Amino acid sequence: MTAPPPPATDQYLVEQTLLGNGDAFATLLDRYERAVYHLAYRTMRDAEEARDVAQESFFKAYRSLRTFKPGAKFSTWILSIAYHACCDRLNRRKRYTNEELPDRADPGPGPAEAAVARDEAARLRAAIEALPEKYRTVITLYHLQGKQYDEIAQVLGLPMGTVKTHLFRAKEHLRKVLTEVTQ
Amino acid sequence: MNHDFEDDLDRMLAALPLEEPPAGLRASILAATIYRPAFPIRLWEGWALGVISALMLWLVVLVVKGGGGAFVGSIELLSSFAWRALSSPALVLWLALGTAIAMWMIYFNTYWTAPQHISRR
Repeated sequence: MTAPPPPATDQYLVEQTLLGNGDAFATLLDRYERAVYHLAYRTMRDAEEARDVAQESFFKAYRSLRTFKPGAKFSTWILSIAYHACCDRLNRRKRYTNEELPDRADPGPGPAEAAVARDEAARLRAAIEALPEKYRTVITLYHLQGKQYDEIAQVLGLPMGTVKTHLFRAKEHLRKVLTEVTQ
Repeated sequence: MNHDFEDDLDRMLAALPLEEPPAGLRASILAATIYRPAFPIRLWEGWALGVISALMLWLVVLVVKGGGGAFVGSIELLSSFAWRALSSPALVLWLALGTAIAMWMIYFNTYWTAPQHISRR
């Protein structure tokens, strides 16, 4: 019995897409659709806008696939595109609606509500939701990328030290909120 | 922040499912990318069509305004100019050099070797 072929690398899929193989791009989409949507949803906190951001991100990635550097990580690249699309929308939202950028916790499903649910995932989700924007994004990327701080820094366009500081503060916020809820 | 909490948080984050994308998102992205109908003509074809159309228009205007004589006169003027220019060895040399460089760039530049329209296999 022969072993199944190893899954194609992202780099290979990018090359195939550039050679005209549409299925290769569909595979990339399958791999990163959820991550991109998740980042957009966590940053925008609006399902409709998150959908638009995800669509826009993949469209931009597809159109500028030739600029993707060989050796770079596709996940970092696509998440960076998505993050910048979110920033553009948040800035526009602020300009046109005079709505403050969600740099401070805004009323959402709060920790108390989550406590009623007594569900760990719901509590954590609510706690992340209540974080200021910069911490929320960094913790979302930490969730998506793990402890690859350099990649989180690349996505956000921030120095690694700043990312670590944001992450530390985000965790501090979460610790406070989650321990308050459980007490 | 203690390590226990950090470990707990890592565990909780690892267990936290990603947001489920709305139904139809994948289809709409594919429709906007690989299934997007290709533009029927390429950029250089558009330019060529534009130039040919302008020449045709110019021809029509000449014929309408001055009859066949003006048209023949203009063609003669243009052809004599082209003939004079091409009789100069230096100009021909520059043209050959330019063409060779253009061919070389087209051959070696990956941008031009990749297909313009993405098709789904």
